Amino acid sequence: MQDQWTDRLSEYVDGDLDAAQRSTLEAHLVDCGQCRATLADLRRVVDRARAMDERPPARDLWPGIAGRIGLSTDDLAVRRTRRRISFTLPQLIAACVALIAVSAGTARLVSNKASTPSTTASAPSGLTAVQAALWSKADSSADQELDELRLALAEGQRSGQLNPATVRKLEGSLAVIDSAIAEAKRALALDPQSPYLNHHLADTMRRKLEFLREANRVATART
Amino acid sequence: MLFALVAAAGLMLNQDTDTTFAVRQGQRLEVSDFGGSVVIKSWRQGSVRVRATHGSRDRVTVSTEGATVSISASSRHGPAMVDYEILAPAWMPISVSGSPSAEVTIEGSEAEIAVETVEGAVTVIGGRGNIALKSVEGEVSLTGAKGHIELNSVDGSITVKDCSGDITAATVDGEISLLDIESSDVDASTVDGSIEYDGTITDGGRYRLTSHDGDVSVSMPERANASISVATFSGSFDSYLAVTLGPGQKSKHRFTFTLGSGGARVELESFDGSIRLVRPGQIHQQNEE
Amino acid sequence: MDGEAADVALAQSGDGRAFERLYRNHVPRVHGLVRRMLDSADADDVTQDVFVRAWEKLHTFRGEAAFGTWLHRLAVNVILGRRKTVGGERKRFHGDADMLDEVAGRHEAPEHGVDFEDALSRLPEGARQVFLLHDVEGYRHEEIAQLLGIVPGTSKSQLHHARMALRKHLDR
Repeated sequence: MQDQWTDRLSEYVDGDLDAAQRSTLEAHLVDCGQCRATLADLRRVVDRARAMDERPPARDLWPGIAGRIGLSTDDLAVRRTRRRISFTLPQLIAACVALIAVSAGTARLVSNKASTPSTTASAPSGLTAVQAALWSKADSSADQELDELRLALAEGQRSGQLNPATVRKLEGSLAVIDSAIAEAKRALALDPQSPYLNHHLADTMRRKLEFLREANRVATART
Repeated sequence: MLFALVAAAGLMLNQDTDTTFAVRQGQRLEVSDFGGSVVIKSWRQGSVRVRATHGSRDRVTVSTEGATVSISASSRHGPAMVDYEILAPAWMPISVSGSPSAEVTIEGSEAEIAVETVEGAVTVIGGRGNIALKSVEGEVSLTGAKGHIELNSVDGSITVKDCSGDITAATVDGEISLLDIESSDVDASTVDGSIEYDGTITDGGRYRLTSHDGDVSVSMPERANASISVATFSGSFDSYLAVTLGPGQKSKHRFTFTLGSGGARVELESFDGSIRLVRPGQIHQQNEE
Repeated sequence: MDGEAADVALAQSGDGRAFERLYRNHVPRVHGLVRRMLDSADADDVTQDVFVRAWEKLHTFRGEAAFGTWLHRLAVNVILGRRKTVGGERKRFHGDADMLDEVAGRHEAPEHGVDFEDALSRLPEGARQVFLLHDVEGYRHEEIAQLLGIVPGTSKSQLHHARMALRKHLDR
C-alpha cells in the first residue's frame, strides 16, 4: 500500500527535498504509520549498503596485475631489464616527495631559502640539506642506470634490433628530459617549498624513469 | 634504358603474396613486421585478404592459434621486411607490431586496435574500445575513434582528432594536438612541445595538460563550468575570459579559479611556456592560418 | 604523512612493492564494487584492469582526495567503460519496473531466504548501478546521470525503486 508520499521518502532520506516539501512530509509522517515504517526501512537499507561485506577475491589477482605492469615475469631478459631499473631511484624520489609533502607550509624547516640544494649538503639542519643528499644519491643511481641503458642500446644496434638513427633519437630525447630536470632543479633551488616545482621535478624524474624503462624494453625486445 | 633495367631487377628481387582466407566473429588479427609498411583497411567481406611485397626468399606465414590469426614473414636468417596491404572485416580487433621499424596505417576499423612500432609513423582512422598506439620514433595520429585511448611516442608528435572517450597522450619530444574531442578524462603530457585542446569540458570531467617547455592552449567555452588550476615557473598566462582569483587561491607558481559552477577539473602546467585559455574554434583558426 | 600516503608516493615513482601494498589494502572493496556493478563472471578480470589502470594513472593523483576515493572513481570509469564496450548500455533502463516488482515480489515469501546481497544482484542493472553509485560510493545524482547517460530524475527514481525492492531483504 503506497500513498503519494511514498515516492518522496528516498529524497527525504537524502535531504533532497526543499524546506516546504520537507515540512509537509514531516507533518504527514506524524499521521501515517506506514510511511514511518517505510522510512525506517529505507534508512536501514542505506545503512546496510554501507556495511556490505567486503572480502578479497577468491584467487590472488596480484600476479596477473604485476605481470601486466611489468613488475614480475619469468622472462629472464625482462627480469634483467627490471634489475637495471632498480627501485633505488624511485624510492629516493618518493622519499623526497614524501618529505616535501610533509614539510609543505612549515617554513621553520627551511632556514635559508636562497641556498641551493647542492650547496647545503652540510647545512646543520633544514629540509634543503636532506633534499640535497637525496637528490645527489638519486642522480648517481640514474647515472648507473644510464650506463646500462647505453650498453643495451649498443646491443640492440649490433643485433639489428635498433637502427643507429633510433639510438641517436633516443639519446636526444634523454637529453631533453635531462635538461628539463636540470631546469626544474635550478628553479627548486630558488624556491624549495613550491609544491608545483616539487611535483614538477618528481614528475619529470618519473618520466625519465619511464623513458629508461621503455628504452630498455625496446633495446632488448626479441622479434 | 636505365629505367627498364631497374624495373627488371625489381621484378627479380621482389615477389608478391596475395592470399584471402575466411575469418569468423571473435577472431583477432595480429600482424608483425620487421621493417616496411603495414596498411590495413576494412571491407565488407567475412574474410581477410593479405597482399604482401617481399624478397623472393622471404615467406609470408598466416597461422591461427585459438582466436588469433597471425601474419608474419620470415627469411632464412630470421624475420623479413615486408610491405603489407591487408583488407579485413571492420569488426576484427587488430594488433600490429613493427620492430625495428614499420609505418602503420589502419583505416575504417570498428574494433579494438593496438599498434606498437619503434621507428615509423602510426596513422589510424577509426577504432572502437581499447585503442593503444605507440611509436618510439614517429608521429602518432588518431582520427574518429571512440573508447579508451592511449597514445605514446618518445620522439614524435601526437595528433588526435574527432575522437571520444578517455584519452591519455604522452610524448617526450613532440607536440600534442587534441581537436574536436568529446571526453571527460584527458591526460596529455610532453616534456618539450606544445599542447592544444579543443573539445568538451564536461561537468565531473578531468583534464590535465602538462608540458615542461611548450605552450598549453585550451579552448574554454564562455559558459564552461570548470575549476582551473594553472601552474608555471617562468611562463605566462593569458585568458580571453575575465578571471577573478579569490583569497587563498594563489601561491607563487600556481593559482586556481572557478568558472561557472566549477564542475570540471582542469589542470594546466607549463614550466617554461605560456598557458592560454582561448575561444572555442580559435585553435582551429590558428592552425589554418 | 600516513603509511598509505607514503606508499602512494613510492608507487608514483615506480615502486612495485608499495603498489602491491595499496592493492592488498583496497582490493576487497574494489572487487566488491566490480562484482556488484557488473554481476558477471568477469569480476576478476575487471578488477585487474582497475589496478593496471591505477598504476598507469597514478601520477595524476595529487592527494586532493583520499587515495581510496580516487581509486574508486577510477574503478567506476573502468567498469562503465567496460559496459560500453560490451554494448549493454541501451538495454539497461528498459523493463526495470517489472523486474523490480519481481525482485520485490520474491521477498513477500521470506521462507525462500533471499538475502540482501542476492536481492541486490537480482535488481535490474540500471537500478543496481544507481544504488551502488549513490548509496555505497557516494556519488550525487547529477554525477550518476552524467556517468550513465540518463537524467538526474531517472537516477532518483531508480534509486528509490532499488531501495524499496531491497528493504524487504534486510536481515531481520
